[in-house]
Amino acid sequence: MVAMIAANDLVKAFPASRRMRDVLRGHRPVLRAVNGVSLEVAAGRALGIVGESGCGKTTTARLLLRLEEATSGTVLFEGQNVSALRGAALLPFRSRVQLVFQNPFDAMNPRFTIRRSLTEPLRNFGLAPEEWEARIREAMARVRLDPPEAYLDRHPHELSGGQLQRVVLARALVTHPRAIIADEPVSMLDVSVRAGVLNVLRRARDELQLAAIYISHDLALIRYVCEDVAVMYLGRIVESGPTAEVIAAPAHPYTRALVAAVPVPRVDQDRGDLPIKGGLPDQMNQPSGCAFRDRCPAAFARCAEEAPPLRTIAPGRHAACHLA
Amino acid sequence: MDALLSVRDLAVHYRTAVGPVRAVDGASFDVPARSIVGLVGESGCGKSTLGRALMGVMPRSASIAAGSAVFEGRDLVTLSPAERRKLLWRRMAFVPQTAMNALDPVQRLGAQMLEVLVERGGLSRAAAGARAAELFALVGLDAGRLRDWPHQFSGGMRQRASIALALALNPALLIADEPVTALDVIVQRQVLDVMRELQSRLGLSMILVTHDVAVVAYACDRVVVMYAGRVVESGPVRAVLEAPLHPYTMGLMNAFPDLERAGGELVPIEGSPPSLLHPPAGCRFAARCPFVSSRCTEDPVLVEQSADHHVACWRAAEAPALRPLASEATTWSNIAKDATWSR
Ligand SMILES: Nc1ncnc2c1ncn2[C@@H]1O[C@H](COP(=O)(O)OP(=O)(O)OP(=O)(O)O)[C@@H](O)[C@H]1O
Ligand SMILES: Nc1ncnc2c1ncn2[C@@H]1O[C@H](COP(=O)(O)OP(=O)(O)OP(=O)(O)O)[C@@H](O)[C@H]1O
Ligand code: SF4
Ligand code: SF4
Ligand SMILES: [Mg+2]
Ligand SMILES: [Mg+2]
Repeated sequence: MVAMIAANDLVKAFPASRRMRDVLRGHRPVLRAVNGVSLEVAAGRALGIVGESGCGKTTTARLLLRLEEATSGTVLFEGQNVSALRGAALLPFRSRVQLVFQNPFDAMNPRFTIRRSLTEPLRNFGLAPEEWEARIREAMARVRLDPPEAYLDRHPHELSGGQLQRVVLARALVTHPRAIIADEPVSMLDVSVRAGVLNVLRRARDELQLAAIYISHDLALIRYVCEDVAVMYLGRIVESGPTAEVIAAPAHPYTRALVAAVPVPRVDQDRGDLPIKGGLPDQMNQPSGCAFRDRCPAAFARCAEEAPPLRTIAPGRHAACHLA
Repeated sequence: MDALLSVRDLAVHYRTAVGPVRAVDGASFDVPARSIVGLVGESGCGKSTLGRALMGVMPRSASIAAGSAVFEGRDLVTLSPAERRKLLWRRMAFVPQTAMNALDPVQRLGAQMLEVLVERGGLSRAAAGARAAELFALVGLDAGRLRDWPHQFSGGMRQRASIALALALNPALLIADEPVTALDVIVQRQVLDVMRELQSRLGLSMILVTHDVAVVAYACDRVVVMYAGRVVESGPVRAVLEAPLHPYTMGLMNAFPDLERAGGELVPIEGSPPSLLHPPAGCRFAARCPFVSSRCTEDPVLVEQSADHHVACWRAAEAPALRPLASEATTWSNIAKDATWSR
């Protein structure tokens, strides 16, 4: 089966803040925010990308959406290489792969009614005007905002955060995309309304057989919406596989620390020390060999010399650790 | 009970052009000595307002409209501003919601610490220097980093530094407003561990403001649940989180994705909290409550339902029977259909 959306060895290097000394010596230091990421998502599946702040999640999403030019590597959509598409040639891809932003209040034009915000993508998509109303109603029903009339003529400030995030989702769904990429879609929402938005995301994915990618640093949330997960550390995927298996038996020491750190809403929980040391290293001065070495409780001599490649450790499971 | 702080019927209002916003409207709870109390509730329910009112650092438009807050035997509400200032930082200290971003970007951290210690604490510069190093060590930061600028600190380190600043003068009570909300899970856990460790080592009490029940379960001894300016439930964490008595608390627990609880639909609490400009009469949760009854048009009072477990709900006695119903999504979605909350 062909993946709906796939990435091959994506790299994004940003020019790092340059010191005069480097400039004079002709150095051009770069920060590899994404450093060789490959992934694929089939129709009807959801992949979660987790990792600490700054590990390159958002940059990966922007590369997949072609909002950012990759330094190297390719993006495939329905088996076609879309990395070389420019300008108007990108438009069909753009309407097929939709982005859901983190903050619903930033994502919507405050002066537009909800109806206008939902119409705009249909117009850009070139759909005949007589079909707009039906599409809009369908999208509103999908995100469980009914009756639609109660919302369509309002402005963003007249909706609650949870309602507005559902409108953002309806806007993403209105063109009937094949894939959806959501960057921290509920982190700005209250716990009580998060659940509703997550349920809507999950149902829309099933009903439309979308390929979905959700970005979050919360594994509990990923567990709930994604059957597969990829764990990122300093621009690389260090572990991937079925979410339930990865959480039950993490293979990479970093994943183990992430799982142990997730707070659960129950009183009897393990308060043991986290199996990780310190914070993220300076991105410009990463350790030799395994990038996780200076924080890894299991590090040994070989880890300083050799970077562990991401390899298959069991059917469907991959990890980048000498011990996995 | 050996309470360090006893809050009773506290009301805090904001003056606005369209009338008073009753941000805190009759809050009662205790903070026992040497304990961490979690203050939870949805955005806008009055958590920060309550914290700031207790500290005496409110915007001009805010005022305490009623109630008392007895701290170490004295009512904070009736103290003169001069007397309050004497308590601030020395007996009670505060880490505001935006503390992490409030560090002065153009001043080294050490200089900022010194300023606080000299100005607030009247320490000599030499004594202040030694104390600053001590405080950094206390929150697990290397004293050498006092020479660093705030931008050289990660979010977690900045949050530790703001906690260190608040602890400068050995307060008995620390109020920390959303100290871990902006941090990712690993850093969040490290900061919570620092807070727990400080609590037991220094024997202080803390109020930890958060919207995350999992943070409360991990770090707190007691919990106070707020809804629309009121305390609706309070007690020891185990009692409240394992056997909630208020439908809102039940809802909060079920809305949360749990790493160890597989599959199933999450249960949202439909609707949103009422406006605090014109709070509804009767139970404020009624519009979203699946168990609303005719009695609920009357205001429920906060009562001690079982030992040390307080709740404000007319149907609290039926809680054991309501809990299984509250874990079903249909219980909550049915009320959403006929409710008129949609604004
Ligand atoms: N336009 C840019 N120029 C230079 N560096 C950048 C740029 N965008 C991102 N970076 C850097 O790339 C790294 C990865 O950033 P990214 O935003 O992808 O992380 P993230 O995993 O999404 O983090 P968060 O969880 O905080 O959103 C960071 O070190 C960031 O500072
Ligand atoms: N200066 C102000 N003037 C008028 N109303 C205010 C003011 N500050 C806060 N409010 C209102 O008071 C209520 C309580 O706000 P508060 O900041 O205490 O909530 P909170 O529980 O801390 O929320 P959050 O979780 O979003 O921080 C809200 O309805 C808010 O809109
Ligand atoms: S390769 Fe070595 S340092 Fe890296 S994660 Fe595995 S054990 Fe730890
Ligand atoms: S008093 Fe009535 S409306 Fe309020 S929480 Fe209890 S049952 Fe629900
Ligand atoms: Mg990001
Ligand atoms: Mg607040």
